[in-house]
Amino acid sequence: MDTIADFYPVLVFAIVAVIFTIAPVVISYLIAPRTKGKKTYVTYECGIEPFGGAWIRYSILYYIYALIFIAFDVDVLYLFPVATAYTKKGNTYEFYTLLVFILLLGLALVYAWGKGVFNWKRKDQ
Amino acid sequence: MTDVLKIAVEAIGQDTLRVILGLIGVLILVVINALMLTWAERKVAGHMQRRIAAKEVGPFGLIQPIADSLKLLGKELITPMKVDRVLYFLAPVICFIPVLVSFVVIPFGEGLQVRDINVGILVILAFSSLSVLSIFIAGWGSNNKYSLIGAARSVAQNIAYEVPLLLSLLIVVIMVGSLSLKDIVEAQKGMWFILYQPIAFLIYFIAGVAETNRTPFDLPEAESELVAGFHTEYSGMRFAIFFLAEYTNIMIISAVATTFFLGGYLGPYLPGIVWFLIKTYFLVFVILWFRWTFPRVRFDQLLNFSWKILIPVSFINLIVTGGILKL
Repeated sequence: MDTIADFYPVLVFAIVAVIFTIAPVVISYLIAPRTKGKKTYVTYECGIEPFGGAWIRYSILYYIYALIFIAFDVDVLYLFPVATAYTKKGNTYEFYTLLVFILLLGLALVYAWGKGVFNWKRKDQ
Repeated sequence: MTDVLKIAVEAIGQDTLRVILGLIGVLILVVINALMLTWAERKVAGHMQRRIAAKEVGPFGLIQPIADSLKLLGKELITPMKVDRVLYFLAPVICFIPVLVSFVVIPFGEGLQVRDINVGILVILAFSSLSVLSIFIAGWGSNNKYSLIGAARSVAQNIAYEVPLLLSLLIVVIMVGSLSLKDIVEAQKGMWFILYQPIAFLIYFIAGVAETNRTPFDLPEAESELVAGFHTEYSGMRFAIFFLAEYTNIMIISAVATTFFLGGYLGPYLPGIVWFLIKTYFLVFVILWFRWTFPRVRFDQLLNFSWKILIPVSFINLIVTGGILKL
């Protein structure tokens, strides 16, 4: 089987998913009532007038986790072809390669841990 | 009936017919699954709190979800003034693509699979990464503070729990040596993988619950602190689509767990699809059960639990499995 024959169902399903989500919204648009109150289209903020917009800068404390994640995610993806080629019994060379790869990844985790990435300090301290 | 099938096969070819029939079946399954799960969620919640839950509409309240969805269809579509219109309309559309595509490769029974792609699990994993994108688009596009905080939390959760999820599935792949879901089920003929790999199953299930934003990892939509999280500004049918995607996601997580660890459609006496649905919906019930058992975790606990416990344990598990395979 070639690649296109394998993947066209994926494409068909993706297109149908788009149609399947747009259709009910269109039906709803056609039959639902429309009101025009003074505050109908105001952003929700627990019943008070919205205080400024939401598109502001704010501190995302977990950005270092995000940096480690990128390294980890890519490296774990490398393991998928390894997993399919991994043979059972004999040939211990494969096992040592896997071991070295995972130990290096683990070292990155130990380094981040030692650096105190996983400790959350209170702001007021 | 068989004559009709034969004529159809001759007219458009077996593969195309399989895709069309699969698509119809999957769409019906998705809708019924979402309707039943909204009902089941309320019933499970009710009985765990010694209430009766929905009972007025139809026997045991079974017609209630249909009444609810018709009501949502007739609700006004409100698009707040300040939203980013393109992103706001796009988010529900994107959130449904990964959900539907995952069904292409899931084997419901022997031969009951739309197409057995040889990198099956990679298709599911690659597309499921899109769902966090849709949540972030929804949160950012809404221009609402609650939505934005919910979306930022959702991204954090995704980056914490995707690695253990990948690693726990990888352990099964390394045992089977194939990424095709059908091969993985067939490899469990003798023994289910949950008996070889109970830790991997546990890690996968925890990470899966986190990926679907269910309690105890429901920080992106924590109703008691963020109103409704990333879908605060969505109402009517758009809200319904988010819910459809969420409930289908719960089913997919359970279906993949069934395929990888619980022997998929294998089982004695009953036909394969019945076994598959029994196992899948048992896991779905466990996820619904979680919601009334565990309190919500705190944000730093959420991140550190994954990085300090799940990922190191997964690594050790992978090395041990690799070593045992070579013995």
